[in-house]
Amino acid sequence: MNSQLQNTDLLPLEDILNTILCDLKRSVREYTTATTESNCPSIRQMFTELTDSTLKLQGNLYQIMSQNNMYTAPTPAPRTEVSKQLQSAQQTVQKAQQFVQQRVPNMNAAYQQQPNIPSGPSKFM
Amino acid sequence: MNVSQMQPMSNKELEYISDCISNEDLLIKQCAAAAVVSQNPTISQAITQHIRTHEQHLTKLTGALQQHQNLAPTQGH
Repeated sequence: MNSQLQNTDLLPLEDILNTILCDLKRSVREYTTATTESNCPSIRQMFTELTDSTLKLQGNLYQIMSQNNMYTAPTPAPRTEVSKQLQSAQQTVQKAQQFVQQRVPNMNAAYQQQPNIPSGPSKFM
Repeated sequence: MNVSQMQPMSNKELEYISDCISNEDLLIKQCAAAAVVSQNPTISQAITQHIRTHEQHLTKLTGALQQHQNLAPTQGH
């Protein structure tokens, strides 16, 4: 029985890679939470870099698995559904703009004037 | 790292670092298992590179503990 096990993988590569992919996702979430809950700027910076690096590893492993047919590609969303969501999103954008314009009337003017406003006290004064 | 950005680490930060060290350790072991099983050179190469990156993560996390060791108060609150 032992010799049979020696000749057979304890776990197929596909399953091992799937487990790693899941743990990378979990790791990214943990690094992101750690970043948002950091107090020391140097530790926040470290967690930000580790989040980014782990996201890259997760993306890289996903690509490898996808290229080797180890991951079933998600089904594409139908056009009718995309159009429906787009229409809803456009309404949301419009309403958000109206909301801001009603409450911050000078916002557009402020943006337009910005180039003429000094960015702060002049260093040469 | 800018010295002025160094503050004593909180208990929460310490716990996250400790948990993340465990995660990285587990990922290294899983990648090593995958590298042994894989018969595809492209996958083996990519997984080996992953192991190196996880090792760098471990170095970074351990380094943060070392850097903050002297900043930590000698008595707990």
